Amino acid sequence: MATDLGPASTGFAELQAAFSNGDLDRCKLLLSRLKLELTKLPALPPVYESSSNALQQLTLARQVLELSVFLSIKQGDEAAFERNFSQLRVYYSDARGLAGLPPSESEATLTALNLLRLLVANRIAEFHTELEVVPPEVQAAAEVGQVVQLEQWLMEGAYNKVLDARERAASDYFKYFLDQLSSTVREEVASCSERAYSSLSVADAATMMMLSSEAEVAEFAAQHGWEVANGRISFKPAADKDAAAASTLPSLDIINHCLDFARELERIV
Amino acid sequence: MGKEVDMKDAPADEKAKEAEKQPVAVPEPAKPLAVLRSNLRLINNAVAQKETRTLFGRVLRQTAAVRKRLSARDVQAFLTSSLPASSSVAQQLLEALQQLADSAMDADGAAANGAAAEDRDAAALSPPAAPLPEVEVYCYLLTIMLLIDGKQYEQAQAVAAAALSHLASFNRRTLDVLAARIYGYLSLAHERTGSLASIRSALLGLHRTAVLRHDDVGAETLLNLLLRNYLADNLYDQAERLRAKAQRPDTSRSMQQACRYLYYLGRIRAVQQEYSEAKDCLQQAARKAPTSAIGFRVCVQKWLVLVRLLLGEVPDRTEFTAPDLAPHLVPYFNLTQAVRGGDLAAFSAVASAHESVFRCDRTHNLIVRLRHNVIRAGLRRTSLAYSRISLADVAAKLGLSSVTDTESIVAKAIRDGGIEGLIRHEEGTLEAARPTDMYATSEPQAAFHARIAFCMDVHNEAVKAMRYGAGGGAVKEFEDATALRERQEEELLAALEEMEEDD
Repeated sequence: MATDLGPASTGFAELQAAFSNGDLDRCKLLLSRLKLELTKLPALPPVYESSSNALQQLTLARQVLELSVFLSIKQGDEAAFERNFSQLRVYYSDARGLAGLPPSESEATLTALNLLRLLVANRIAEFHTELEVVPPEVQAAAEVGQVVQLEQWLMEGAYNKVLDARERAASDYFKYFLDQLSSTVREEVASCSERAYSSLSVADAATMMMLSSEAEVAEFAAQHGWEVANGRISFKPAADKDAAAASTLPSLDIINHCLDFARELERIV
Repeated sequence: MGKEVDMKDAPADEKAKEAEKQPVAVPEPAKPLAVLRSNLRLINNAVAQKETRTLFGRVLRQTAAVRKRLSARDVQAFLTSSLPASSSVAQQLLEALQQLADSAMDADGAAANGAAAEDRDAAALSPPAAPLPEVEVYCYLLTIMLLIDGKQYEQAQAVAAAALSHLASFNRRTLDVLAARIYGYLSLAHERTGSLASIRSALLGLHRTAVLRHDDVGAETLLNLLLRNYLADNLYDQAERLRAKAQRPDTSRSMQQACRYLYYLGRIRAVQQEYSEAKDCLQQAARKAPTSAIGFRVCVQKWLVLVRLLLGEVPDRTEFTAPDLAPHLVPYFNLTQAVRGGDLAAFSAVASAHESVFRCDRTHNLIVRLRHNVIRAGLRRTSLAYSRISLADVAAKLGLSSVTDTESIVAKAIRDGGIEGLIRHEEGTLEAARPTDMYATSEPQAAFHARIAFCMDVHNEAVKAMRYGAGGGAVKEFEDATALRERQEEELLAALEEMEEDD
């Protein structure tokens, strides 16, 4: 018995129209109505009831969910992204083997976006567990490969590459996440530069930390407690910090240790 | 027994070795059918004594010893003698074995004559009217084992499914050990045909039941089977969630299951980037594994090597040269060499050359993470060797393409404490730090204190152990818990008998 796909399909067409027009509020409204329609379709997981138009139902549901994920990025709603993507994940993993279900074009993009979201939120353990589940053919896709490369660069410390990637981002959706990344990266570069350089010219600092003007550099330096003089930033060398620490004896520790030794010695009969 | 006598005699008396062999009759290895019959007696004993562990353990060990020489005909003869002819179980199993028996018939022409004598003996024994459920389950187990050994996986799955439905009707603790084995073989049969995902919900239901009934052996086995199921599909997230929430019995009842659990836990932790914990688990699994389990040890060793590389320590060469593990570990040995040398080009070469092996072992993603370690190792060597080196040269040595990248990488390495040094941005050089005088800092004091504390601990533990004696005070883990349990069970039986006498 084929369920009527009419109301669901028209709803989807309306949603697509509103999405391409950029009318986000209307999209939200339409989406909630559409999701209600979807619950009436029996072919969807977890029931997976087979019928003559089961495949169309599944494809339609998958398209709706993909669009909802893109919508949540446009709205900047990360919680919604996570929710919708977890629903979508079922289609990519369990429903993958169902006969006749065509692979989705946006699968690679969406998987890459999800991985990027985890990376930016610094949920690296989840990033890796997610990566394990991604099937090899999707892993070979360009977008996913880029995100994996990005993670490697972050680990190695090639931050300039990370900031370059922002310029070359594949689409606006990636730009949204990469923007969040750049402030983290900037902090990382700053802390690395502190330890690695004794002093740096302002112009070089600006390029390295992707700051646009001297005023910003000065502000940034003030935030971190660096001295700016004659167009150069000087970082306090780490050696000074060590020397300062070495001059004071850790007297409390020494006292504690000695008392421990005395107590143990007394115990030895 | 005769074999032992032989071996002792041989070195002692070389000349008379030939003469001695004649009178000392080496008994032939027991006929499989005889072993199965003795197992039957053991099972009857075990049920009569309500004993769940040691006697069944002996049954399973004897079966394992005989397994290779077991033929379909032997099992059929055993079935006809132990189960009444009218039992549906018997019919099912005999049919299932028929195919195997027919195919083996041609090969076993000569053995058939020897077996004919056994069959006559078998016919003489009349089967009991109402067989114990344990006997039926044992027959199921034998059939499944034989089918899997004969590579008839679909048949094995069918028989295992029948066994499961048969088991579902009972709630006897004496069946636990045999049932756990059947679950294991069910999972194995499905794994060989690639249909593991289909039994997942069945295994989950069985695990729930086992925990409810306090069936420790079953619960442990099923948890391991479920973890294996999830990890086979790379579902590390779900595996971890199950492991965190599932109830495990406090003490492990079986060393093999404990080893497996540690291995799966180690794998999950490695993927989640908690490398120290992963190393702990994998090392324990490697230590506890029996020496005959070569495949398992190879797998554990592969993951252990990778985790150690990711932690930054380089495994010893001796680990790769153990005779039975060596051929399987060759790709990992090459990988270790590349990582230790800090040579990115060699690393990429090894990774691509052995990619299929790594993908098969599912370690591919971990190896991708090693790139960072290779660079770090190379950077360390360079910074230790040079007092001042230009960044372009560093890039060339590491095999990196751009100098700005190298600069950022070196900066990060300095910040993380991997290398000591200072970068001069204008000149584009890396200067190694002046070696600081170690004795001027408080590091020697800290090191000494750590050692003193350790020695104190050892002393205190030794004193406590002497004072309270074995079994009291500090809780010790028994490597072989069987002796302890047997003693406890004997005490329990004695107590029960006393109670019965009082009644």
